[in-house]
Amino acid sequence: MPSKTLKKVEKVKPDKRAQESFYASPLYDFLYPFKPAGSQWLPEYIIILFAIIIRCAIGLGPYSGQSAKPMHGDFEAQRHWLEITQHLPISQWYYFDLEYWGLDYPPLTAYHSYILGKLGSLINPEWFALDSSRGLESDDLKTYMRFTVILSEIIFYIPAVIYFAKWVGRHRGVSPIDQFIAAAAILFQPALMLIDHGHFQYNCVMLGFTVYAINNLMDEFYAPAATCFVLSICFKQMSLYFSPIFFAYLLGRCVFKTGIRFPRFLSISLATIATFLVIYLPLYIMGGGLQSVLQSTHRIFPFARGIFEDKVANFWCVTNIFVKYKVLFTQEQLQLYSLVATALGFLPAVILVFLYPKKHLIPFALAACSMSFFLFSFQVHEKTILVPLLPITLLYTSSNWDVLSLVSWINNVGLFTLWPLLKKDGLVLQYCVCFAFCNWLLGNFSFVTPTFLPKFLTPGPSVSSVDSNYRRRSLLPKSVIWKLIILGSYLSMGAIHVLDMFVAPPSNYPDLWVILNCFLGFGCFILFWLWNYHKLFNSVGQSLQQL
Amino acid sequence: MKDAGRQLSRQEQLAAMGTRRFSLWNFWISSLVLKILLIPDYFSTDFDVHRNWLAITHNLPLRQWYYEATSQWTLDYPPFFAYFEWFLSQFVPEIAKQDGCLEIAEKAQVGWPTLVFQRSTVILSEVLLFAVLQVFINTSPIGERTQSFVVSSSIVLSPAFLIVDHIHFQYNGFLFAILIASIVAAKQHRYLWCAVFYSVALCFKHIFLYLAPCYFVFLLRAYCLNFQDFKFKSYKDLIFIVKWKHLFQLGGIVIAVFTVCFGPFVKDLPQVFTRLFPFSRGLTHAYWAPNFWALYSFLDKVLTVVMLRLPYVHQFTSKLIQPPLIPATIDEIKQRIVQNNNGTRGLVQDVFFVILPQISPTLTFSLTAFYQVLAVIPVLFDPSYKRFIGSLTLCGLASYIFGWHVHEKAIMLAIVPFSFLVVCDRRLLNSYMMLAASGYVSLFPLLYENKDFLLKCLYTLVWCVIYFYSLRKTTFLSSSVERRVFFLDRLSMIYIYLLFALVLGVQFLDIMKWRYHFLQKFEFISLMSYSVYCALGIIGSWVGLSWLYNFDEPLWE
Repeated sequence: MPSKTLKKVEKVKPDKRAQESFYASPLYDFLYPFKPAGSQWLPEYIIILFAIIIRCAIGLGPYSGQSAKPMHGDFEAQRHWLEITQHLPISQWYYFDLEYWGLDYPPLTAYHSYILGKLGSLINPEWFALDSSRGLESDDLKTYMRFTVILSEIIFYIPAVIYFAKWVGRHRGVSPIDQFIAAAAILFQPALMLIDHGHFQYNCVMLGFTVYAINNLMDEFYAPAATCFVLSICFKQMSLYFSPIFFAYLLGRCVFKTGIRFPRFLSISLATIATFLVIYLPLYIMGGGLQSVLQSTHRIFPFARGIFEDKVANFWCVTNIFVKYKVLFTQEQLQLYSLVATALGFLPAVILVFLYPKKHLIPFALAACSMSFFLFSFQVHEKTILVPLLPITLLYTSSNWDVLSLVSWINNVGLFTLWPLLKKDGLVLQYCVCFAFCNWLLGNFSFVTPTFLPKFLTPGPSVSSVDSNYRRRSLLPKSVIWKLIILGSYLSMGAIHVLDMFVAPPSNYPDLWVILNCFLGFGCFILFWLWNYHKLFNSVGQSLQQL
Repeated sequence: MKDAGRQLSRQEQLAAMGTRRFSLWNFWISSLVLKILLIPDYFSTDFDVHRNWLAITHNLPLRQWYYEATSQWTLDYPPFFAYFEWFLSQFVPEIAKQDGCLEIAEKAQVGWPTLVFQRSTVILSEVLLFAVLQVFINTSPIGERTQSFVVSSSIVLSPAFLIVDHIHFQYNGFLFAILIASIVAAKQHRYLWCAVFYSVALCFKHIFLYLAPCYFVFLLRAYCLNFQDFKFKSYKDLIFIVKWKHLFQLGGIVIAVFTVCFGPFVKDLPQVFTRLFPFSRGLTHAYWAPNFWALYSFLDKVLTVVMLRLPYVHQFTSKLIQPPLIPATIDEIKQRIVQNNNGTRGLVQDVFFVILPQISPTLTFSLTAFYQVLAVIPVLFDPSYKRFIGSLTLCGLASYIFGWHVHEKAIMLAIVPFSFLVVCDRRLLNSYMMLAASGYVSLFPLLYENKDFLLKCLYTLVWCVIYFYSLRKTTFLSSSVERRVFFLDRLSMIYIYLLFALVLGVQFLDIMKWRYHFLQKFEFISLMSYSVYCALGIIGSWVGLSWLYNFDEPLWE
């Protein structure tokens, strides 16, 4: 294996080296001093530390459902699961008082909660005392809970992302410093930071497992990839959005390339089944047999809950303005339609990946597939946008200007669709600051470079030796139509924010601004989804170098 | 051939440096982000203090500012700071006024608008620090620019400013900007500006008085005395040593600054000065600042425990040391402890030693003065910029280590000048690292709430990683590297690594107190370990710097 990678690196000619992705952006500027060969070990730690610091700072803000009695919000739900998993026998986990935040994630979440609950009870048993701790709110409890998210992220998400960025960078002959710049760009994705550390959830664990699975695919360790992906599903069912692609890719790898590989196929299927077994076994043995397993599945897939909840920027919610689905069709019909629509949405990507299981297609294919789920499937939450945003954000390792621009754009749109949620949580300040900061880091505010100021007052590179005449560009694609679309969407975002802040919505449409938000988000997602498909089909014949 | 290549690369380096801007702009924006996110964080009583000053200066006529005592947070900074607060109070928005930002009350109940307003005044006033340091970078020669940039960015991103200003709540960034302006002026041999900036800084915050001996001697020697053509023939020649014109210029300008500052209060000066110098306070602050007296108090505590447990130790020592210096009998020790526990403790508690002799303010002042004099004597012989910075650092350190009622925040008085000094020579680096690490860690108890733990630790850690590394890369190598004592270098590194153990251990104890309630009784142990361990580092660093300052001549050429 090492010789193979070595060859690949050698193949890259110096003049063909990928142009530096975030050249002259503040991120580039900050990491540039560590470019000399002797200091390349440092930036890894520095970006990790700063990533944690900004997460701590976001965590100082309020969480979902803070002092909103009696049900509170996601924070209380997670705390409640830490409480019940450590006090109740496994058989009770999926049955206990379902009205008050009954457990509705797969067992790995429950085990994760169990461990964190035990750890927390070591510190202060009152935080997770059975029943008496309901609705408990204290600064120290909040600190502990915030700490558990950070800990989970340090274990599951951050190393996976850094490994991915390094792997792609190495195989594309990118300099180490650029690998870390890409890694930092991924780690500073605002949507995930705000949902996990502001709103409060543990999405980083699910996404981290998925990235580990992708890393294993990159390294051609197929059985471990399957295991990691199953773990991801067993943490949150949302990562099922990726499953068609993983399935098609693994199958394609077993069938094509060098003839049918039966041992590989066997090992992958064994790994998948074994992981599922291991995760569900405690539930089966200690939890009262099959009944409990079925109950957990029933809790995980709440088909009774309607085609969408709240307002979300997907097809059903947006077109519901014109077509009242809930009146016209029964629940079963809607389930069928959404299933068909979703399948139609992801099938091209699945077939393509099955026929051409190539590494550089993985992020595009995952994005296409998960985006179809987000846009067309049943019971989607606004937070679920984090799932398609993961493979999209991983594309920051690319050095194609168009790809980078669209990735940065869709990240902004994704964050924008989270605005109603974050506003409800009281995270307005954190939202604004992160929105601005993360764009600034990537160099998206380069267009506000005044030329009349003295050199040292002009915003721009401060330590890196970038030629002062270098015209810095904001991340906008080359095509004029895309430029117009992106600028138009940014302007509308601004307008909607202004309306939301200063104008009260008409009394018969109290949700008007939220609906506008969803509308815009949906439009952008659809456009991105189509572009992504276009890109996917176009890059079949290309290689990792051209990513 | 090799040399030529090296020279070329050096030239290339210089050329590359020419294209760099060395602008603090990006650092300002990124630190701004963090500061804004910290707005909802914990703030100390200093927040109420400054809010009260806003109210006092806004509502009362000038002459009553130093008499007002509705709240316990009376105005105790010099008048320039009071003017500054008055200036800020002009910009209080309506929403904050309704919130009670400008009400003189014994205990103010203010909310989010006031908090945002006050935090943003800190953030905005700190821009001055960035501006001054940018000037410092721009005016330093091309060859030194990298070093200047490292120093400047290390100061603007310093954990001390983040912890003390943006979380705990004070205006140090702004105040130190003025002090740094005077250092920059000294570097450029603009002595009048140096004097102006220093006296302005002094009129903003009188803690800078600790640096006065150094400024006095430096300005006197560099600007007002001339030994160049001095030949002693008679006592009349002594008159020509003094550059009278310069002396009058300097004196006039300093007096002018003080007049502007204290002039309006000329009839109330005694009241102003009782507010500025409250001698009723104790030797150490509630939490012992990590200085010599922390070690002294610690020794006293240890001796008390030892003597009570093992009476023969007392018998033995009382043979060697006569009773007035230590208690005569065990009973007297016990009596003293009882006295101490029942004693009348004021707002700021007084310290009472059981075994060791009591410390009087006079003693602390004489010790401080003694070490400051030692630090300024070399400046008298050699008034160079380097010497001046060195003696400034040592003056700050001496006052911190031996001063009366020192706050842990005062460590910036030593760290800031030291930052300017450290780039001159690699051998100063170990001393600097020890001072910075222990000084910043000693600020941790200011933020006692658990929610800040990760933030303060990680920020300080990442600062130390980045700047210890960059300083090691950029400081100038000296000709006499072989004279380094490697054993001490290693020791200082071990000391710095052990700070991790200290911080984590103390936090662990702190967390365990919920589960094991008896631990709550030992809360003083965590504070004591902080101050004792950090005191070791600060004193060690002071000793190291003093050695180089007094006995290593090539360094100061």
